[in-house]
Amino acid sequence: MGSAAVIGSLTPDTLLAAGKKAATLTILHTNDVHSRLDPFPMDGSRNAGKGGVARRATLIRQIRSEQKNVLLFDAGDIFQGTPYFNLYKGEPEILAMNQLGYDAGTIGNHDFDGGIDNMKTQFGKAKFPFLIANYDFKNTPMDGHTQPHKIFTVDGVKVGVFGLGIQPDGLIPKNLYGDMKYLDPLEIANQTAGELKKKCDYVICLSHLGYKYNEATVSDHVLAAKTRNIDLIIGGHTHTFLEAPVAVNNLDGKATLINQVGFAGIYLGRIDLSFEQGKGHSVKDGKAVSV
Amino acid sequence: MRIQQTTGALLLMLGLFVGCHRPYQFTGQQYKRLTIDEKAAADSGTAALLRPYKQKLDQSMNEVLTVTSAALDKKKPESGFTNMLTDMLLERAQQKYNKPVDVAHMNFSGVRSGLPKGNITVGNVFEVMPFDNLLVVVTVKGSMLMQFLNHFAQHEDVLVVGGIRVIMKDKTVQSVTFNNGRTFDPNQTYTIAMSDYVANGGSDASFLSNAVARDNVNYLIRDAFIEAIRQQGKSGQPLNPQTDGRITIQ
Repeated sequence: MGSAAVIGSLTPDTLLAAGKKAATLTILHTNDVHSRLDPFPMDGSRNAGKGGVARRATLIRQIRSEQKNVLLFDAGDIFQGTPYFNLYKGEPEILAMNQLGYDAGTIGNHDFDGGIDNMKTQFGKAKFPFLIANYDFKNTPMDGHTQPHKIFTVDGVKVGVFGLGIQPDGLIPKNLYGDMKYLDPLEIANQTAGELKKKCDYVICLSHLGYKYNEATVSDHVLAAKTRNIDLIIGGHTHTFLEAPVAVNNLDGKATLINQVGFAGIYLGRIDLSFEQGKGHSVKDGKAVSV
Repeated sequence: MRIQQTTGALLLMLGLFVGCHRPYQFTGQQYKRLTIDEKAAADSGTAALLRPYKQKLDQSMNEVLTVTSAALDKKKPESGFTNMLTDMLLERAQQKYNKPVDVAHMNFSGVRSGLPKGNITVGNVFEVMPFDNLLVVVTVKGSMLMQFLNHFAQHEDVLVVGGIRVIMKDKTVQSVTFNNGRTFDPNQTYTIAMSDYVANGGSDASFLSNAVARDNVNYLIRDAFIEAIRQQGKSGQPLNPQTDGRITIQ
């Protein structure tokens, strides 16, 4: 590639020809799988025959064979809901997620159900990091076993990912979360997303706050509206079945996308993102397109 | 636009010279929600990973704990089945918390299934108590114990209790007799074994937030039932709980 003088006079097309690259990235996501390793039994109930981690593995492998740039995330509540958790305290859930090649997860309220020592034991078996920016685990067994965020570089595109957990007070028995401190998610999100945006092309929040509430309680909708620099919120907790992501304007008037795919691994969310190196504007319309 | 192209070029240039990240701009997106169902075959590696867990799980769900001589169901105002359940909670709570417990309580609506006639498996108990509620012990003053009993007498039109005998009239408790010989005094304290769901204010029992104390040893109610029924099964006698008139409606 040429000198500064030459580059300064190039048009975008010639820039592209000169090595300006385009990239695509596929984000796959789950939330609130709740120990549903097997499909729902064929008992005539609403979800009979749906879900199953081994089938999810097949779909994910298929997508990876078609698309080289894939990131796979989970938005919390991996644990609790089937006898698998009662019997094994979360081990097969985590080992299955390793097998499926999860890139990161965040922590849901039910992930504390076996206690904070069990969380350390089971999360310690994960080959992927647990991202959570607003839980301070100092003076607990989980201290040093989570990270606030992680930057993934995929085909040159830098994706900053951070996690947010829900207020435990009144939701999680105190003896299960111990001395873990809950920090204000909006404040932490603005700070973290701002730092990530300086280094990254795209910022994702894995959130277990919940989709939307009637009262003023912080939710993914509130988070999107009251922050800057978050491009995508992958949500959980409320078991919300969104047919497609929802766009909410953030403090800068830019679209932040929110998605959530119900619970129990009945669905896998897939968002395909396109990037171009050095392009001046991101798309104005943040609405998702069904394919 | 011109300015931004130049900016882009400058950033590109910076990237070349100082080796830092050359930014990518997000330009578009597409979305698809993929249903996980029988159309996707099970991945053999993942299935193999889960197989030993599943085998042991099936074994433990299929474990026969005891045998019933007749099907058991919950009934208002009292049933042998729910009497048995609360008696088990009372006994298990005293063991787990290592202290006397005066009353055991269950939500009538929280008993989700009966038990069939014949073999009773762990899986059957999961159907009776699918929730992962914990057995907690709440210490209350006598006045709050009475409020508690009246609340459920009115809320559910039924009391599912162990450790006490109650006389009710017009959904209001007239008198309480303790099996352990204590007497009712609104100023004394009493211990109630109950679901953490209720202790947390579920079933509109938010007044329990003003209880004297609450203990929690992280013990599932379902585990209490499984352990108690398994122990009963070792006696070799079929499970055949009876009503004992602990609830009298005037």
